[in-house]
Order: sequence, then C-alpha cells, then structure tokens
Amino acid sequence: MSERGLTDAALPGSPGRVDLAHLWKQRWFRWPVFALGGMIVLQLVEWIADPESEELLSGGQAGAMLRWSVPLLLAGLGGMFAERAGIVNIGLEGMMVLGTWFGAWGSVKYGPVIGTAIGLLGGALGGLLHAIATVSFGVNHIISAVAINIMAPGVTRFLADEIFSGYAGGSISQSPRVASFGSVELPVLDRVSWLTIIAFAFVPLAWYVLWRTRFGLRLRAAGEHPSAGDSLGVNVYRYQYAGVVISGALAGLAGSFIVTELTGIYREGQTNGRGFIGLATMIFGNWRPGGTALGALLFGYADGLQLRDRDGVHALLLVGVVVLAVLALRRALSPKRTVVEVGLPAVIATLIVVWYLLRDTVPPTFNQVTPHILTLVVLVFSAGRLRPPKGAGQIWRKGEH
Amino acid sequence: MKKNKSWRVLLALLATLTMVAAACGDDDDDTTAPADTTAPADTTTAPAAATTAPPAASAISVGLVYDTTGRGDQSFNDAAAAGGDQATAELGVEFSEATPNADGSNRAELLQLQADTNPLVFGIGFLFADEINGVALANPTVNFAVVDGVPTEDPAPNLALLLFAEHEGSFLMGAAAALKSETGTIGFIGGVNVDLIKKFEAGFTAGAQYINPDIEVLAEYITQPPDFTGFNSPDRGKEIGLSMYDDGADIVYAAAGGSGGGLFEAAKEFSEGGDSKVWAIGVDSDQYNIVDPAVRDYILTSMLKRVDVAVFNTIEAANSGAFVPGFNIFNLAVDGVGYSTSGGFVDDITGDLEDIKAKIISGEIVVPETLA
Repeated sequence: MSERGLTDAALPGSPGRVDLAHLWKQRWFRWPVFALGGMIVLQLVEWIADPESEELLSGGQAGAMLRWSVPLLLAGLGGMFAERAGIVNIGLEGMMVLGTWFGAWGSVKYGPVIGTAIGLLGGALGGLLHAIATVSFGVNHIISAVAINIMAPGVTRFLADEIFSGYAGGSISQSPRVASFGSVELPVLDRVSWLTIIAFAFVPLAWYVLWRTRFGLRLRAAGEHPSAGDSLGVNVYRYQYAGVVISGALAGLAGSFIVTELTGIYREGQTNGRGFIGLATMIFGNWRPGGTALGALLFGYADGLQLRDRDGVHALLLVGVVVLAVLALRRALSPKRTVVEVGLPAVIATLIVVWYLLRDTVPPTFNQVTPHILTLVVLVFSAGRLRPPKGAGQIWRKGEH
Repeated sequence: MKKNKSWRVLLALLATLTMVAAACGDDDDDTTAPADTTAPADTTTAPAAATTAPPAASAISVGLVYDTTGRGDQSFNDAAAAGGDQATAELGVEFSEATPNADGSNRAELLQLQADTNPLVFGIGFLFADEINGVALANPTVNFAVVDGVPTEDPAPNLALLLFAEHEGSFLMGAAAALKSETGTIGFIGGVNVDLIKKFEAGFTAGAQYINPDIEVLAEYITQPPDFTGFNSPDRGKEIGLSMYDDGADIVYAAAGGSGGGLFEAAKEFSEGGDSKVWAIGVDSDQYNIVDPAVRDYILTSMLKRVDVAVFNTIEAANSGAFVPGFNIFNLAVDGVGYSTSGGFVDDITGDLEDIKAKIISGEIVVPETLA
C-alpha cells in the first residue's frame, strides 16, 4: 500500500468537472463550509422552534461545547495513536481514571501545571501496562484493557484513602479543592482555559506527527501491516509501545482536564464513561485527527446543550431532521442507492417531526440521552465507508507471520 | 536472548504486584468496617439494652454506613459523621464506618457487616430505605435507623426513620434569596429528580414567592432516576450553575449533594469573569465552614439539615435504652432544619428570616411539600 493510500483512504470523490467540485475535494475548503452550514441550520432551527433562551448558538453554549469536548477529543486522539500502531485500546477509560487521581494529587501538591503533567504521566503508566501485556506478552487486547478498566478505580480508591484522607476536605472518594489552569478571555467564547487551547493544538500536531514524520510513518506501518514493516527493518514492538504509551498519556491528560478545568476537584467515578465515548469519537472521525475533533465537538455540543438548556434539546430534534433529510437526499441521488439507505433516514426523520409537533418538550427522562441518540443516528447513516487500520486488534509476533 | 527473558519476568512481577495492590485497595475499604475489636463484648448485652432499657453501664457501639460519596463530601455525609463524632466525644460511643462502592451495590452487605458487631446501625441516605428494612427484619435484635428514607414495605419494628422538614428550611432559603436578589431571577439545582429533592424545590419556590410574587425561579435537575449520579457530578453541577448565571440568576440554591461543589466553582468563576458578584446557597451542612477558603465567599447561606442532630439524638436515645422506632420528624420547631449565618452575608435580613421562621412554627405559614 502506497503512502498516498495510507493518507487518503476512502474519500468519496466525484470527477473534477467544475471548479466547485474540485474545490469540494479539498479538505481545507470543505470544513469551513460544513461549519458555516451547521451554524445556518442552527440559526434557522432557532427561528422556527423559537426557544426562549436562544441557547443553540449562544456564546455560553459555544464555550460549554469546547469544555465538554476536550476529554472526548483527547481520549479519541489517544485511541487513534494506539490503533494506528495496531493495538486496540478500550482501556482509555481506566487510564483516564488514573489521570484524574494523579492529576489531582499533583495539583494539590505542586499546583495545576505540574499536576497536569503528573496526570499525563499517570495515564502513560496505564498505557505502559497495556503495552507490556499486549505487545510483550501477546495478551488479547480486549482482555488486557478490561483488566485495566477494572483495576484503575480500585487503585485510585486505595490511593485516595491512603493520601487524600490525610488532607482537609479530602476522603476516600475525593480530593481537596484543586486550582484551575487559568483561562484567557476570547471573543464569543468568553473564558477559555489554556488547557483547552493546548488540547485543540494536539489536533494538527497529531496529524503532523502521524502523517509527516518518519516516526509517524513507521508507527502507522506497524498498525497496517506489521510484517511488512518488520521486513523493512521497522522495530514493530518499539512503535507499538510508543503508540500505546502516547495513547495512555493523552487519556491521562483528559483525566487531568476533568479534574482541574471541569470540576475543580477529584471525585470517584467522575470520568463517567468518557473514555468509551472518546473511542466512539475516534471511530466517528475515521481514525483521523480532524474527524475525531469534529466528533468530539458534536458530542460536546450535545452534552453542553443537555445541561444548559432543556428546551434547546427539543429544538435539537429539528437539527436531526435536517441532517437526516440531507443524508437521505444524498443517498437518493447516488447511483448505488438502496431502499434501506434512503428509506430508513427518511422514515426516522418523519417520526421525529411527528414527535416534535405532538409534544412541546422532551420528557425529562429521555432528555439526558436525546443528544446522544441523535448523534448516534446521524453517525450510523453518515458512517459510509470507515477504514480502520488493517492490523488493529491483531496480536503480532515477530517471525511468526 | 537470555537477558531479554529475565527482563520480561521482572515486568511480569511488577504487573502482578500492581494487581495485588489494586486488590488490596478494594479490600482495605471494606475491612475498615469491623475495625473495633472491643465491640463483641457489648453486643451480647446490647440487644437487651435496646428493648428493656437497663442503665447504660458502658457506651454502646454504633455502625454508620454512608452513602456512596462517603465521609468527606462536605455536605450530607459529613453532617452524619459529625453526629457520630459528637457521640464519641460526649458519650464515649465507639463507632465504625463504611462506604459502599461507587454503584452502591453492596449496601445490604455492609449493613449486615455492621449489624454483626454493633447494636445500632445507621444507613445514611434515602437509597438505603429498602435495603436497611430487609436487613432490619433479618436482625430483630439489632436497632436500625435510616436518614431520609421511607421503605416501600411496612418498616420493621426495630427501624427508626429519621426524616426532616426540608421544605421548611428551603422556604427560608427562598425567602433569603428573594430578599437578596437584585436581578429578580434566582435558580434551583436538584441532584436527582426524586420526591425528596422536589420537596426542596417546592419550599424554595414558595419562600421566594412569599417575598416577591413576580420572582423568576429557574429550576433544573442534573439526572433523572434511576440514574443517581446527579449527586456526584460536580462537573455537571458547575455547567448548569454557569448557564443559570448566564441567564441572569444572581443566587442559585443547590440541593445536589456532592455536585453542589461545582456550583460554588461556577459562582467563583462567573463572579471573577463578569462585572457582578453572584451567590450560591449551600445545603445540609454549614458549607461556608467546610469548603475551601477560595470559594467560601460566594456562599450566601446554607440550609442546615441537622443530620448530625438526628444521628446524635438517636445514638443518645439508644445508649440510654430509649430508642424510638418508626417516624422521627426533625423540623424547624425542634431545630432539625434551619439556616446558617457564617460569613455574615445575611446579617441584614436575619430579622425577616426569624420572623418567617416564627410564622412557620406557629402554623401561620404553611409550607407546601410539592410544587403548586
């Protein structure tokens, strides 16, 4: 497989007849168009649904979207580094848990900046454990990761009881208050934490490292076809170790972010499954940094809206309808259309419209999950042709293939 | 090759050690429960003490099982712990404590563990209601008490239900918020949308409207049952707090257990970033005195729910053989609920609050338990 094949796999392309179609194929052109289109849709929905608080497009909501997307983004990027190196890492959740405890402990002792770095190292430790089990010992990736997910809360509970119980305000289940990283005032978004900015800087950085450096090429080779890489002199084990440790470090950073920026305290169970959603984000993003960032922002938007404005969730139903309608239309126009691919989104969109017209609000029990269900529905129909790294999940032993 | 192998063995050892450490972590927590080895001597006589009330020659021992957040939540569980600590200091009672695991699945086991060694066992929090009833029926010689809980079945004859008039205390909070608010908008954050927490909202809203009928009360619950993580989500509490301050509320009251800490962070962050100071109202304990000094100046007052009084009184009664099973109601009249003045932020309105308090006690004001 050529270098080109590794980078631009599975981009649906139409032949470049007109200039616009040619432009459309350029990623730098498409993303702003998507963003602008999304904002227009939101604005239209806001006019039609007319919620009192106008939260769909407010600055506060934009800030919340950024805040809530960061843990998912970092976990997603972490998952990407591991799977690009061929190791499936569903242990992100456990590594994130380690990150929360170590981040809090470091912050309490040395302040938030060094504390965040310690949280990152805590996550990397979890990654190292996963790498030792899967790369050196050839343990099934899922088994090892599940073990880490079960072990991490036990370890942190033990550590919290040993260390945080000695502090005023600390206990077996929580740390004393942790200071935040500090924030900067930006237009529209209000206060944005420095750590948020750093997290989003990882998106282009991850792209550069994986697709523009020798290290990245070899790492991806280990994940696509380890034997081929091995035959060309790539030390597959070393790159897999690197990928998984980086993965754990990013998950640990996500944990630190939850502690210092989202809450200001370590509390048991505060990761709340974000590691797994981060993994879904990575798949949504087709194992690429830009797509992962987009997925994280989508989930973050839904999370923030669900908390800030329950009426807004009702209006969000209309957004789902628009997206589904566009998808159905696109399928209908494509030459390879099937009845299911066109019909199902159309039927679901119709059902949502009926529901929207019959009820003024989303029932509270359903409210919490509505954004996620909507995102999942959109995900299922827009997934199209995902392309995971070929060697991901495979246990590779040198000389046996 | 040989070298490589020994390296692997070392790593395997290391990994095993880590696993063992983790396993110890879980065990360690549970084994703190039966820590007091002196208890068994008392247990043989204690059941008799509870029912036939002989003089208390030596103090009884007590088992406390907290709710999932455990001691150190700076709120509900800490209030219960304070009652236990007071009993230790004043009555010489020895008490052992335990905290359920994060999903609360081992509540019944921990209660049984405490009942094995103590003649009086507390379950702290309404989530214990049914489990403690079951354990109480199975251990008729041990006395049990549950804070906030009413079991769905008939309560066992050896179970005391310690209940509070939270709506009365919350009425005072609503009145204080309405008296202090400059924007005419205030907020309420409930941890989980259950009847117990709705009682807080009902009292708070009624109190605010008693002062200012036109006041706008924003209300939001973090989670819906059966998802009880709303009591342990400071991140979500903070985001909801920020959105309420964004929407013009200048005082927000949280009845959300451990999530309330997030509201204090939101008040601090919003006040420091914007040009006006906003307030939070605490719950259960006098939170001004418990939270980190960095956020205490944003806590206007706290609705005191004297879980410590309830725990202490129950221990005292059991210790002297006067344990009362069934309903034990703690309201404004017996100072079971109230408000805090720490920080001095409500000093200018204590006259009004005392006035309202007297009217509630005399029955002139009837506080609703459900939203109109």
